[in-house]
Amino acid sequence: MNAELSELRDSARQVLAAEGLAAPEDKTWPLALDLGWLLVAVPEAQGGLGQGLAGACAFHAEMGRSLCAAPYLPAMLAMEAAIHAGREDWIERLGASGFVTAPLVDPTLTITDGGIVAGMASAVPSADRASHVLLGSEAGDCVALVALQQAGIDARHRETWDTTRRLFDLRFDNVAGDPSLVLARGNDAHVLSRRLATHRDFALAADAVGGAATALEMTVEYLKTRRQFGRPLALFQALKHRCADLKARIAAAEALLADSLVRVGTEVDSERAEALGKAAKSFAVSAYAAVAEEMLQLHGGIGMTAEHACHLFLKRALLDEQLGRCTSYELDVADTLLGAG
Amino acid sequence: MSQAPEALRTEVRAWLQNNIPRDWRAAMTGTDQDAFVRAQREWFGKLVKAGYATPHWPEGWPGGGRSLAEQKIIYEEVARADAPRLILFFVALYHAACTLIEWGTDEQKRAHLPGILDGKLWCQGFSEPNAGSDLAAVRTRAELRGDRYVINGQKIWSTLAQHADYCLLLVRTDTAGPPQAGLTYLLLDMRSKGVSVRPIAQITGDDEFSEIFLDDVEVPVSDRVGGEGQGWAVAQSTLASERGLTLVELSHRMRYALNRITGLMRARGVAGDAALRRDLGRLAPKVDAACALADQYLLKRIENTEAPGDASIVKLHYARTLRDFTALGLRIAGLQGQYREPFIRGGGMETGNWPFDFMNSYNWTIAGGSDEIQRNIIAERMLGMPREPKDWRL
Ligand SMILES: Cc1cc2nc3c(=O)[nH]c(=O)nc-3n(C[C@H](O)[C@H](O)[C@H](O)COP(=O)(O)OP(=O)(O)OC[C@H]3O[C@@H](n4cnc5c(N)ncnc54)[C@H](O)[C@@H]3O)c2cc1C
Repeated sequence: MNAELSELRDSARQVLAAEGLAAPEDKTWPLALDLGWLLVAVPEAQGGLGQGLAGACAFHAEMGRSLCAAPYLPAMLAMEAAIHAGREDWIERLGASGFVTAPLVDPTLTITDGGIVAGMASAVPSADRASHVLLGSEAGDCVALVALQQAGIDARHRETWDTTRRLFDLRFDNVAGDPSLVLARGNDAHVLSRRLATHRDFALAADAVGGAATALEMTVEYLKTRRQFGRPLALFQALKHRCADLKARIAAAEALLADSLVRVGTEVDSERAEALGKAAKSFAVSAYAAVAEEMLQLHGGIGMTAEHACHLFLKRALLDEQLGRCTSYELDVADTLLGAG
Repeated sequence: MSQAPEALRTEVRAWLQNNIPRDWRAAMTGTDQDAFVRAQREWFGKLVKAGYATPHWPEGWPGGGRSLAEQKIIYEEVARADAPRLILFFVALYHAACTLIEWGTDEQKRAHLPGILDGKLWCQGFSEPNAGSDLAAVRTRAELRGDRYVINGQKIWSTLAQHADYCLLLVRTDTAGPPQAGLTYLLLDMRSKGVSVRPIAQITGDDEFSEIFLDDVEVPVSDRVGGEGQGWAVAQSTLASERGLTLVELSHRMRYALNRITGLMRARGVAGDAALRRDLGRLAPKVDAACALADQYLLKRIENTEAPGDASIVKLHYARTLRDFTALGLRIAGLQGQYREPFIRGGGMETGNWPFDFMNSYNWTIAGGSDEIQRNIIAERMLGMPREPKDWRL
């Protein structure tokens, strides 16, 4: 990580820490915009930091670390699409004030040659605040921005256990798209879709390692201060060893993520990048869930209270596991190593 | 020494193709230790000459001064070519060399590092019957008499000590004060009078480690590494090199050895078994993470940013992953795997003799500080959790 990026990342960490865990969207989204966090992956020629996917992931990890409620992930996907479709107008708009959201799982919809959108997009964060949504057709042959304020779109908020994200289902009933907002068609669209899915998986991996790191830090801190049997709980080796195993698991997930990002390099739209992203994501989200589960267990009764933060980590971790591409990655990895079953 | 990565890869690959002993696996299957030692020496000599035995040594030493990228390429290619593992030279190349480089006087380095390249063998004499995990409890006594230490005691579990020329010996020079403060680190010539070695049979059928008995053995003061009473600190760097650096090569080997698992699945006609495919798919990213952790650790060593506990994470993750790896092989091998086959010496941690490999994987969860000890280190030094109270009653 270069100096400029790590400085910006550190300041993001400070700013988010000052807002507190799971700070609301109203507070954190303006910060993301004002402090230029959306520009991390934008090429320098277009006024960004030119830090690519690895730079973006450093910020996704901060979002995870602070359980940030800002819809940074979908906004970064929209930005990635604008960058790679060469849409300077949208890069500028997204970086300055506009908010475009995107589904965090693959949508099931069609986009005709004439730009008519029909079908469904699930897990779309903060859709009520977005002007547009970034959509890819299920067939992968079209990627487009679609304005949300128009007839034929039914947006429904779906309450999730994870309260740090507000997800919507969007139903499109033959909505006429704007041809000027089609970002890619045909093979270009396939490549762009893959790029976006890969970014999404890596972002979720980063969110997970960030969240897991905070969850473990808080757990260790709690065990050091909570006393039972006349001593701090942290003195019990059974508990120390569980924490050490979690630490090793997080370190492995972080190392795998960092190494995969290096291996991907600038070829984010390759099939290899897609496979690396899936594996890194699955490895990281399962580590996150394991840490969050242990966090709850090791906090005892207080961990069951709504007031305490344990459940926020657990719920975000459980949701993270279901976002992105959730095909069984183990079987994908086996396919790569053994050939298709 | 620095080279364009791809040029180095081509060079190493070509060299390996021309130099790996033909059919070495067959030759090392069911063989005795003497034949093994001969074969290892021959292979080691070739690697040293080519400059590939010591990529982890610093600048200025033959074969040393390689960047992380170059070291990785060499280890990857060695693994890819399925070359014999330099198990006989393991302690010499890592434990002894890294300790001497960090703590040795110029004279000691000059006296011993070239010798390692000439094939001198080393063993590690730390553990004792009553000082295993609790290494600071070492009791082997060294008394200073004039310009020599006179040593009495017993070491145990010392890997390949029966072949060693020298021993990294941890001894007690002081019984007052905290136990760590009374330890001193010596270089013992195994041919000294009063040293006797007795191999111990292992569960794998090998007799890979030995007991060392020390009876009025004399070691010159000039063969002390670090000051008297500094033995604990010196021993920590030996252990850190074992826990971290050695795992770059071993992790990359494990990555290549995934093809042993896939090969076995195909050979056994279970390549389509969904449960096994899932286990394989879960294992492979863990192996990738082991490589990434080891690489990251090596980079920290090169950049001097190592923190306490880093090496423990590398070792703990590797050891658990190796256990999963060999356990999966064992499961796939099925009943066929239970029929005893001769094992391959120098074949590394994944020889494809699955019961052997599985049992041998306990080497990494027990030796060099067990998993439990690594967890203590991580919890105490990285997470800042308190140490056990010292006093206890039954
Ligand atoms: C294959 C092999 C090769 C070896 N090679 C060498 C060598 O070359 N040179 C050398 O000096 N030594 C060598 N050793 C010795 C090795 O370092 C010791 O076996 C190891 O440190 C454990 O000590 P121990 O066997 O006395 O077990 P113990 O210390 O008695 O441990 C028994 C069990 O108790 C656990 N335990 C111990 N203390 C704690 C604690 N504080 N908290 C929780 N659990 C604990 C251990 O993890 C282990 O599970 C080798 C060992 C093996 C198996």
